[in-house]
Amino acid sequence: MPELGNLALAIALILAVYSIVANIYGARRNAPDFVVSARHAIWSMCAMVTIAVVVLWVALLRSDFSLEYVATYSSTTLPTAYKITALWAGQQGSLMLWTWLLAIFTSVAAFQNRRRNPDTAPYALAVLAGVAIFFLLMLNFVTRPFDLLATIPAEGSDLNPLLQNYWMAIHPPSLYIGYVSASVPFAFGAAALITGKLDDGWIRSTRRWAIFSWFFLTLGNLFGARWAYEVLGWGGYWAWDPVENAAFMPWLVMTAYLHSVMIQERKDMLKIWNLSLIGLAFELTLFGTFITRSGVISSVHSFTQSGLGPYFLSFLAAVTLAYTALLIYRSKQLRSPAEFESYLSREAAFLFNNLILVGITFAVFWGTVFPVLSEAVRGVKITVGPPFFNRVIAPLALGLVFLTGIGPLIAWRRTTTDNLVRSFAAPVAIGVVTGIIAAAAGLRQWYVLTALSLAAFVMGTVLVEFRRGMNARRHMLAEPPAKALVNLVAKNNRRYGGYVIHVGVVVAFIGIVGSSFFRTEVKKSVHAGDSFTIGSYTLRFLGLSEVDTPHLASATARVEVLSADGREITVMSPAKLFFIRAQQPATEVAIRSTPLSDLYVVLAGIDDSGQTATFEVFLTPLVFWLWAGGLLMVLGTVIVMWPNVRERAAIATVLSRSSTAARELNDVAAPGGD
Amino acid sequence: MNIRPRFFIGAGLIILAIGYLIGNAMRTTSEYYLTVTEVAARQSELGGQALRVAGRVKPGTTDWDPNTLTLKFEIVPIPDVDAGGALIKPVVATEPVSFRVVSAGEPKPDMFAPGRDVIVEGKLGAGGVITATQVMTSCASKYKPKQSQ
Repeated sequence: MPELGNLALAIALILAVYSIVANIYGARRNAPDFVVSARHAIWSMCAMVTIAVVVLWVALLRSDFSLEYVATYSSTTLPTAYKITALWAGQQGSLMLWTWLLAIFTSVAAFQNRRRNPDTAPYALAVLAGVAIFFLLMLNFVTRPFDLLATIPAEGSDLNPLLQNYWMAIHPPSLYIGYVSASVPFAFGAAALITGKLDDGWIRSTRRWAIFSWFFLTLGNLFGARWAYEVLGWGGYWAWDPVENAAFMPWLVMTAYLHSVMIQERKDMLKIWNLSLIGLAFELTLFGTFITRSGVISSVHSFTQSGLGPYFLSFLAAVTLAYTALLIYRSKQLRSPAEFESYLSREAAFLFNNLILVGITFAVFWGTVFPVLSEAVRGVKITVGPPFFNRVIAPLALGLVFLTGIGPLIAWRRTTTDNLVRSFAAPVAIGVVTGIIAAAAGLRQWYVLTALSLAAFVMGTVLVEFRRGMNARRHMLAEPPAKALVNLVAKNNRRYGGYVIHVGVVVAFIGIVGSSFFRTEVKKSVHAGDSFTIGSYTLRFLGLSEVDTPHLASATARVEVLSADGREITVMSPAKLFFIRAQQPATEVAIRSTPLSDLYVVLAGIDDSGQTATFEVFLTPLVFWLWAGGLLMVLGTVIVMWPNVRERAAIATVLSRSSTAARELNDVAAPGGD
Repeated sequence: MNIRPRFFIGAGLIILAIGYLIGNAMRTTSEYYLTVTEVAARQSELGGQALRVAGRVKPGTTDWDPNTLTLKFEIVPIPDVDAGGALIKPVVATEPVSFRVVSAGEPKPDMFAPGRDVIVEGKLGAGGVITATQVMTSCASKYKPKQSQ
């Protein structure tokens, strides 16, 4: 079987190379047969990578320890679900997942463009195949998933216990889907640069890909945060760790991109900026894969050890250089005749939102790579921790939230004072009143007060927008309120889905502010029967119970939670686990979540007699709203991505102006065409 | 009317503000990340500084008191696994060095054990005692560094 995996990866590499040659030859010599043949090569490549993935999955499920990968990341006692997720537990497997996703997305893009974009699609597919070649080279020659062990062990080392968790099962695939799907808009942007077809066709063709990518980057970040919250047991969800930053940076840049392309679609401006952003987003996905997989940030040592580092960095440098060269080569043609007209315009709000997002990205990047830079340049490693990131990003986040309220309501081009007052009077009032109420309630931190006011302001703008739209429908079409709301969102799903996402961002922001400013913590060693307090809760340690299975041993504490008036609220069961194969302990946190605050109980230690336990307890206000806001962002994105009849019609109108109209119109109007 | 210059001013102000935030945060929050041998070589200049020290827990030196949540141990240099080591200028230490670490008020990390590699965050005090605010364990070596800690 492993031979089959190796063979499939080798054939996939050859097919990827062939598809590039055939695509470029076909496009340059106007030989459609070659373009068709290249497309078939891409589909076959996808089939080959799929075979390789299936071979590894079968080996994992059958606990075939002759494979080094299986012996390292699995064991016979590992639950079946985690045998499946072990595919992306290690370096080789996760790179194969990357390659597989890329092959799938490239195939889908090839299918979507089998009749569309005849000038640019072959080049875009060639770029995608070029990326696939890099990963296939790694899998074939550098970090091989199907390497065999000389002596077959009787048992595997098991999956890292930290990864034996539901969120860790779905976090990497989500993040990788987000990473890899960003390649498609990048490839079409690169194709636009190569062919000189620099209108916004590449943006329109890949708009859904960009949102799709953003959607999964959002999910990936949320799942990762949730995993950290439930598994790492330090009461927080985000530590500005390099791997977290690696997932966060592409999200920031894609967020900027999704906003700035609207200016290009509307005003034919910022062409260079948009092409730069998508290039940056793609480079950051490579960079993210590179730092999670090479360990370069933890030490320059592991950079040389893992073997992947130099290859990744070279590829990243090559991509960046080539793309920048293309941008410079086309820079004259990319100049836009349109100009900004006023600070009080939507263009300006979007531009400033972009600057802040890219600024945050740069700060995160700087804080992430600084240890390595200082080590390389000065020979001393200087690190910056969470305080650095918090200090830089907290004020910028306020600016971003403010613009979230301004951007959607302010007019394009320029706004009159009259208009400003009409749009913003109510939201500003809502914001100010909220701030005053919060101050009267005893809140004193200026940051919290500002954050709350701004959040209320943004909610106010969204309310105003929804009310305005619903009223218009009710008056003109005499629809009842509920129907007006549904139709409003359904008919303008891009716009109102966007508002839902904005509300989600603001709600999540409130969750982040609340949990960062007001978390309290108690650490205590107690005997069975004793109790201690945190906030208004009293916690009583009832005792320990122990369970042993061949896979893991666990000690679970029973902790009774009492309210201030002595009423029993619940019994929580934080546990300490010990994974037998990995010989490694882990913690199972108990969380009681309410909209007001989370009670988070960690069994930090037990003494040998089993009578004394050490607890670490956190009371974190409002953290519930971080996840609620995330859910709203997901819902909003689904609304945005929902197929829209009007939009199809608009695309068809645009296409009907081009020469190959009739054929493409059919193609686009067909269900599932876009 | 050409408004471009005014926009460059606005954009420039935002960029300057971000630059200022980064520079300011760097000055106030950065800390040295050193190995045990590097701490030994620079001991005189590091007194009272915020540090992160990577080292290995010396077996036989650990002492954990669960009642006061006090953890005491000694850290020694992590043997250099990278024989080439060309990318790092080694700080030469002629004799084995160790530092005492005292961590109070924090639970013992899950994977803390004699012989494990740890990262200690804290300050170096008189007599070579590191007062730790945090002790982090790194994953056992058979795991590649990945989505953890």
